[in-house]
Amino acid sequence: MKYIYRLVYIIMPAAIVMAFLYAPPAEGLGESSRLLYVHVPLAWVSVLAFSVSGILSLLFLFTGNGERTERVHAARNSAAIGLLFTVLATFSGSVWSKLSWGAYWNWDPRQTSIIVLMLVYIAYFSLESALRENSSRPRIVSAYLVFAMVTVPFFVFVVPRMFPSLHPDPIINPDRQVHLESAMKISLMTAIAAFTLLYGYLLDLANRVTAIKEQQKGHLL
Amino acid sequence: MVKTIIAHIKKDFRIEFRNRYAASVSFSFAFTTTLAISLAAGGIPFSPQTHAVILWIIMFFTAMSGLAHIFVREEDRGTSLFLQLNSPPLAVFTAKLLYNVLLFFILQCLILPVYLFFMQLDVQSPLFFLGYVFLGGVSLSSSLTILAAIVSRAGARGALFPVISLPVSLPVLWVVIQGTSRSLGRAGFSNPGDMVFLLAFSGTITAVSYLLFEFVWHD
Amino acid sequence: MLRDISLSMSSPSSLAITGPNGSGKTTLLEIIAGIQRPTKGTVQLFRGDTGLRRPWFQETGYVSPRLRLYDELTAEELIEFTCASRSTSRDRADEFLSMFNLLAHKRKMLSQYSSGMAQRLKCILAFINEPPLLLLDEPGSNLDREGKDALFRYLESIRSERILIIATNEKEEADFCRERISLG
Repeated sequence: MKYIYRLVYIIMPAAIVMAFLYAPPAEGLGESSRLLYVHVPLAWVSVLAFSVSGILSLLFLFTGNGERTERVHAARNSAAIGLLFTVLATFSGSVWSKLSWGAYWNWDPRQTSIIVLMLVYIAYFSLESALRENSSRPRIVSAYLVFAMVTVPFFVFVVPRMFPSLHPDPIINPDRQVHLESAMKISLMTAIAAFTLLYGYLLDLANRVTAIKEQQKGHLL
Repeated sequence: MVKTIIAHIKKDFRIEFRNRYAASVSFSFAFTTTLAISLAAGGIPFSPQTHAVILWIIMFFTAMSGLAHIFVREEDRGTSLFLQLNSPPLAVFTAKLLYNVLLFFILQCLILPVYLFFMQLDVQSPLFFLGYVFLGGVSLSSSLTILAAIVSRAGARGALFPVISLPVSLPVLWVVIQGTSRSLGRAGFSNPGDMVFLLAFSGTITAVSYLLFEFVWHD
Repeated sequence: MLRDISLSMSSPSSLAITGPNGSGKTTLLEIIAGIQRPTKGTVQLFRGDTGLRRPWFQETGYVSPRLRLYDELTAEELIEFTCASRSTSRDRADEFLSMFNLLAHKRKMLSQYSSGMAQRLKCILAFINEPPLLLLDEPGSNLDREGKDALFRYLESIRSERILIIATNEKEEADFCRERISLG
C-alpha cells in the first residue's frame, strides 16, 4: 500500500500516450481539445488537495489531543501542492479559453471558483508566514483552513447565479459528458487517475521530507 | 454566563467610548473615501451597479479598518492575559462578536446617509436596499470576528486582515452587491431568498466560529 | 525547561517556589494556573472528589507582573468586571479596597495609578472571589512597606483555608510559606 503511488510511473505515461494518440480530437475544437486531459485533472486535484488539507486540519484540531502535529504539516504540504496545481489549472484553463472562446479570462463560474480557491491558498500561506514565531501556529492555521472550508458550500450556491449570462462550458464540466465519446472518456479517466496518483506521490514525498526535518529539529533541541 | 458576556460588552464599549479609536478611524476612512469619490466623479451620475460596487468596497474596507481592533487591542496592550484569567473563551468570543456586530451596525448607520447625500443616490426599493445593507453588514461583521482573533495573534496585521478576510467575505459581497444594485435601480424589487441566504451564512459561519474559537484563543 | 515535576497539594497548605531568574518559576505557575499548556503531562484540580475541567479561573486567583489591566477603566469598574465574570457579588469590594488602602482612589482610572497601587489592585482582583487556590508570582513587587503589610495580613488571615503558592526570590515571601521547592 505504501508504494501504490509508484503506479504513477506507469499510469502517467499511459495517460500522456492516450491523450495524444488514442483519444480523437473533439468536434469543433480540434486538436486543442487535448487540453482537456491536462486541465480537468489539474482542477480536480486542486479541489482534492484542498479537501485533504481541510480534513487533516479538522482531524488535528478535534482528535488526538492536539498532539498530532504531523497532520498540520501534511495539511500544509497538501496545500502547497494544491496551490501549484491550482496555478497550473488556471494557466491551462486560460490557454484553452483563449483557443476556444478568444479570451484568456471571462469570469465564467468555473474560472471564478478556481480563482477563489487560489485566494484561499494565498490567505493560508500568508497567515502561516505571519505566524512564524508563534507556538500556537498549528492550531490557528488549521482553524483558518477549516473555517475557509466551511464557506465553500456557499460559493457553490452563489457563484452560478452570479454569472448566468455567460456560456456554459459542457466540455470543461465533467458531469455533463454528453460530448465525450468513449475513447475520450477513458483517456480522461486515465488522466485523472494519473494526476491523482501524482498528487499522492508528491504529498507522500513531501510528508517524508517534513518528518525528517522535524526529527532533525528534535535532535538539535 | 450571560452576566459575564454583558460585563464584557460593557467593558469594551466603555473603553471604546473613552478612547474612541475604532469608531473614529473607521468612520474617518469611510467619510474621506466617500468624499474623495464624490469629488472625483464631479457630478457625473453612476449607474446603480457602480454605486453598489463602490458602496460595498467602502463598507468592506471600513470593516477592515475597524473590526480587528477589538482583539488586536487586547494583544497589544497585554490585557488578553487578564481576560483569560477571568472568563471562559466562549464568553470572550460572544462578547467580541456582539461588539463587532453592534459597532459595524453603528458605522453603517453613519456611513449610509453620508453616501446617499454626497453621491445623490436615489433608492428605488428602499426596504430591500436597507435589508441588503444591514443584513450584509451583520454577515460581514459576524464572519470576520474570528478572523480578527486570528489576526491579533499574528504580525503584519494591517495587510493580513484583508488577505484572510476576502475569501470568506466573497459570498456575502457577491450576493449583496448584486442585490443592492437591483434594489437601487428597480422599484418594487424584492428577493427574500437573498435575505435567507445572508441569514443562513451568518448563522452557519458564527456557529463554526464558536467551535473554532478555542483553538485560536490562547491556550 | 522544566522536567519531571510531580506535585500534589491539598488545602490548607502553602508553598514557595524559589530559584534564580529564568529557572522557570513563572512558567510553572502559569501551567498550574492553566494559562500555559505543558508539553507533556497534566495538571488537575479537584474539588472534593470531582476533577475540574480547564479553564479553572473561578478556582484560582493569579497575580503576576505580566498581568496588565485596562488603563481606561477605574478600579471600581475593574472590580465590577471581575465580579461579574466570576459570578461573585460586589459586596466585599469596598472592604478589600480599604484593606489595601485604595478606597479613596476607586473612581480613578488606572492610567493614574502608580505601579504600587496597580499591584495592590491586582491583588484585590485575585482575592475578591475568595478562590481556594492562590497563585502569586512575586506579589510584593512594586509594593511599599505598607502594601506588603496589607498583603501579608490578608494572606495570614486566609492561610488556614486555602492553597497558596508563591513564586519569589524575596526572603520574606518565601519564609511565609510552610514548604518550599527550589528550581534550577
